[in-house]
Formats: sequence, C-alpha cells, structure tokens
Amino acid sequence: MNSRTLGIALALLALALPFVLEGNRFLAFVFGMLMINVLWASGMNLLYGYVGLMPLMFAGIAGIAAYAMVHLTRALGWSFWLALPVAAVGAALVGVLLGLPSLRLKGFYFTLCSLVIQTVLTLAFIFFPQFTNGDTGLNQIAPPDGFGGKPLAGLWFDLVLASAAVAGVALCAWLVPTRLGRRFIAIREDDVLAATLGIDVVRNKIIAFFIVSLYAAVGGCLYAPYVGFISPRAFDVLTSLNIWLFVAFGGRGTIFGPILGAVILAPIPFLLQELQAFKDVLSGVLIIVVTLALPGGIVGELLRRRARKRADGQALPAAPSASTPAARP
Amino acid sequence: MNLFETSALCKHFGGVMALKDVDVRMQAGETLGMIGPNGSGKTTFVNIVSGQFRADSGSLCFNGHDTRGQQPHQLAVLGLTRTYQAVRVFAGLRVRDNVDSARLLLAGRGLDAGQLRELSLWLRLDRLQDKEAGSLTLFEQRRLELLMRLTQRPKLMMLDEPVGGLAVTEVREMIELLQQLKARCSIFVIEHTMRVIRELADRVVVLMAGEKIADGPPAEILRDQRVIEHYLGTAHA
Repeated sequence: MNSRTLGIALALLALALPFVLEGNRFLAFVFGMLMINVLWASGMNLLYGYVGLMPLMFAGIAGIAAYAMVHLTRALGWSFWLALPVAAVGAALVGVLLGLPSLRLKGFYFTLCSLVIQTVLTLAFIFFPQFTNGDTGLNQIAPPDGFGGKPLAGLWFDLVLASAAVAGVALCAWLVPTRLGRRFIAIREDDVLAATLGIDVVRNKIIAFFIVSLYAAVGGCLYAPYVGFISPRAFDVLTSLNIWLFVAFGGRGTIFGPILGAVILAPIPFLLQELQAFKDVLSGVLIIVVTLALPGGIVGELLRRRARKRADGQALPAAPSASTPAARP
Repeated sequence: MNLFETSALCKHFGGVMALKDVDVRMQAGETLGMIGPNGSGKTTFVNIVSGQFRADSGSLCFNGHDTRGQQPHQLAVLGLTRTYQAVRVFAGLRVRDNVDSARLLLAGRGLDAGQLRELSLWLRLDRLQDKEAGSLTLFEQRRLELLMRLTQRPKLMMLDEPVGGLAVTEVREMIELLQQLKARCSIFVIEHTMRVIRELADRVVVLMAGEKIADGPPAEILRDQRVIEHYLGTAHA
C-alpha cells in the first residue's frame, strides 16, 4: 500500500537521522525537539482532526506530566522509566477530568473553555512554587538512566525520542480505521446524528480525551529531561497554539499532515534564533494563511485535488446520464 | 403488544407548553401518522420519544422497556431510530463511509454484504457509493438516510417530514419507497402533505398547540369537524 510504504520509509528515516546527525549536537537537538513535536502534533491531530475538538489545554497537560515526573524522580527518587508511565497516566486522567465540563460543548465553545482551562493551568504552575519553583522554573533536570546505569544522552536520547514519535504516529495510523476511530470521525462530522445512529458521544469523547492527554503527557515527560529546564512558559497557551498550527498547516484529519507541518514549522524557532521578533510575526502570518488559503492544510488540499481529479476521471467514461452534466457546472 | 406508548406526556419550553398530556399508542406493524400545524409539537414529540429531549412528566415506553431518560444511542440499540426534518447525513464522508458509520452499531450481527447490496439497489444508491454525501441531491440524501437506518435493523423508524423539499415526481417515488419500507419496520411519520398521510398511514394523530385533538383512521380524521376547522381549513374539505 502506498501510504504504508511512505510511513515505513519515514519511520526508518526518523530512526536513522540520529546516527547521521551525531556529529552536530545543535542539529541533533533540533531533530530531537522535532520528534517531540511530531508526537505532540499526532496527539493533537487525534482530537482536532478526528474528533473535531480543538484542545488549547494540550500544553498544560504536558506541563502537569513534566512537573509530576520531575517531582517523582527528585523528591521520591524514582527512576525516570517508572515515573514516566505514572506521571503520564496521572496527567492523562487529570486531562479527562479537565475535559469533563467541556463534554457538552463543541466547536468554538469547546475551544474557548479549553483556553480558560489552559490559562488556569499556567497560573497554577506559577502559584504553586513548592512544586514548580514558580516563574523561575526547574533546571538541571537529570537525564533518564540509559543502558548499564549511564545517563541517557546524545545519540541514545535522540533514538528514544525518534522511537516515541514513530510509535505515536503508528498508534494514530492504527487507531483511525478501527471501530473507535470511525466513531470519532462520525462524532466530528455530526455528533447529533452519531448519537441517533447509536454512538455514545460522551463516552467516546472521554476515551479520546484520555488518549490525547497521554500523547501530551508522554511528550512533556520526554521534553523535561531533554531540554533540562522547564518553566510555566514552556507549557503555556502559545505552545498549544504552535502544536495546533503544525496540525492545521500540515493537514488535520490526515496521518502525514501533522508530521509535515511539524517538519516545516518546528525547526524555525531554532534556525531563526537571532530574529526572535520576526519568529512570532511569522507564526501569526502562517495562522492567517492557513485559515484563509488552506483550510484543510497542505496534505488535506492535496487529497482534495486528487479526489476531484479521480471523480472527473470516473465521470468521463461513464454513460452520460441526465443528471451528471448538470451536477457539475 | 404496543410497540410504543406515551401517556400524559408533558413538555414545556420556558412559558410555552409544547406538549400537554399527550397519549399515543402504536402497534407493531402499524403505520402511524402525525399531523398538525407548525409549532403544534410534532417534532418535539419525536425528539422526546427518540431521547433527544427529556419529558417534564408522563411515561414513555418502547417495545416493553421504560425509556424515560434514555439517551438516543441507547434507544438505537433497542431498535428505535429517526430521521430529521432537515436532512442529516455525514456530508463530508462518502456514501460508503456514511453507511459504515451506521453499521458500527451492530458490527458482526448486522447485515451481510448481500443484504446491504440489495438495500442499496432498492434505494438506488449502489452507483453513488464513492460520492461525498454532501454532493448528493436532496432526494438521494433522503434515501441515504433510510439506508443508514435500515442497516441497523430498526423496529421503529420515526420519519420527520420525509418528503419535505422534494419535487413533485420525487414525492411520488418517495411515497412508493415508504410503502415498501413498511415491510421492513414499523413507521411513524410526521407530515404536512395530506397525500402522504392518506396513502401511508393506517391511523393518524392530530396535534394542536401541544394537545391531541383527534386519533383515528385517515378517512375519518379528514372528515372530523374540529380538524377541518383548525388545520385543513374549509377550502380543503
């Protein structure tokens, strides 16, 4: 299958690049950050692209997981590999709880509610300094243990991140054609009709919240030791919007769209470090361009064109019926 | 046994009494029509029976189950389904995927490929499988609605103005399709078009401002003085 081959090729590329970039620590770091962003974008895509909800509290949930992970490893002395699943599942459950009030909302109203939740989370990160060290943030976060007791670093850390990204995208690609994924799509298209057809909308939204929060949380837990420093700023609404932009720019509701979006956009802040002001202007311009010119994102637009071409191709050889020419002015 | 039964059903929206003590009984296999002027509570009645709205008071029973407070998705499992006054399909999905979404309910226990093909042929949707549902004509979308419901093997299908917006020739065809539909499930139908009610319904319930004012066979109802006065108007009689 075409997209399957592409997927396997991309997975191999992601796992090979750390070896190629091993000599250049800066590029390797840009790549590692890209992998975290691909993981996040896949998760955001699951909710935004397939269930049709835009969760602006995404970064906040990543933050909860990151702070929890640091707390578990520092204060309780847990190994990272034990703290990761505990913090991730815990943060995902919090994500479900935070999602509960918004279960009856959809579209713009859900987004607005999630924005409020994200704002409250950012404030919580600032106002509970005993856990988060407030605005100053937590630094010198220890890397996870690697093989043979040595701390995970360099090539091996990049490989872990690449594997996480590959696993995240693969899970998404596997999930979408399943019965669960098709229920998500039905809810996205029309939740009232979905309920009439026997789909439990609330239950499926809760499942979606859990899975998506898990993506956010795992990304957060990997982000903290990779960068070595976390602060409320790392998990604020701009981070959520950035991840959303990867999905919308690349193509929501497609498997490869969010990857493409992240690959194009995620490295920009690192490559334009001297032009800090310009960077924010650029992402603002991109949001406008996406909403106006590419409502379906790059991949969405490509698929739409291909579908139209195929439909035209089918219509020509078919017997000319009375309704066909009229339907296509 | 009654397929569904409501008694003393009440519903108000703010100060407006949308339904007042409505008693309706429907037998399995019967086709029950409901008529009434705009705003008389017909769609509210369907919304309550199908679980979209909650009744303020009164009892609600479907196929032997007490269904008060049940959600639409739970009622779908029991075999109660409905269509909407404004046609409602997954506009962004292909016809095939629309049908697949409906088939999620019964999964392995649903129709086999042959039965599904037979249904698509009957509703003349077999050649449209790869089209986006939103690009179909209204009549095709109405037929798709029926196909999606039928894959779930419903016991009762509630149709809210099934010929609304259709051209005259299409109304003719739709009535024929609905005649044949009777063999597959029981039908409850709201209509404004008297012709549809006359040709389809075994019995008709008339609502006026939320109250049931008449209940009986179409021929009898169409002669009822109250119905003529309030609904049909003397010109029709």
